[in-house]
Amino acid sequence: MRFLVMVKHDGKLYETPPKRADMEAMGKYNQTLRDAGVLVTVDGLLAPSYGARVTYKNGEATVKDGPFTESKELVAGFWILEVKSKEEAIDWTRHIPFRSGESVEIRRIAEMSDFPDLK
Amino acid sequence: MRFMIIVKNDPQSEQQTPPPELFAAMGRYNQSLLDAGILLAAEGLSNSREGAQVTFQKGRTSVKDGPFAEAKELIGGFWIIQVKSKDEAVEWARRIPLNEGGAVEVRRVSEPRDFEGVMPPATTAQEEAMRDILGNKSN
Repeated sequence: MRFLVMVKHDGKLYETPPKRADMEAMGKYNQTLRDAGVLVTVDGLLAPSYGARVTYKNGEATVKDGPFTESKELVAGFWILEVKSKEEAIDWTRHIPFRSGESVEIRRIAEMSDFPDLK
Repeated sequence: MRFMIIVKNDPQSEQQTPPPELFAAMGRYNQSLLDAGILLAAEGLSNSREGAQVTFQKGRTSVKDGPFAEAKELIGGFWIIQVKSKDEAVEWARRIPLNEGGAVEVRRVSEPRDFEGVMPPATTAQEEAMRDILGNKSN
């Protein structure tokens, strides 16, 4: 089973550059995932000012460049893990080197077997 | 450059089964990304009731199982594409066959070189080596 683990943040983290010690700790954590063979991918997302939002109405798309002032929660980065169960995914996330109220959201990635009626 | 296109939904819309026409339209859209040679990933997320949230405070973690009924926004799925610019990523996002009320967020995926001067060189080397092995190539 694959799980998407997303780091959720209010956007303030983009106001200061990450500390070297934090990046080292995260690098070590990512290595443990790789050593265990559960890491499919890991990536960070740049601040919303590098992005945009697109909404769809009447067959037309409207684009609004970042930053997104209305947003309380942003995705700051993510892992994709391949594990045997949701519990195993949760166990791995417990070791993420966060200590200050951060949160991650874990979601199962859909597989074709989830859609048996699809031809 | 890589961009992640994140499909937004919410606790109400995630309960709705998408109509067959939407699956077909999405299939065609995904094929267009493949044909253009830019598709790195295209995934849907299962209902938030199968998920969990983990919070970290001073060395302790607390886990809350889904569904996330009070959330204002949820994530329904995502693409990761490799293109030459944000404008190009946005052009691809415009073509997503989403109906009235649909929304996506286009975000740039960081590369180790974005952290030059901040990330310790050993970590940069480790991250780049890992990306090569995992097959995530930066442009």
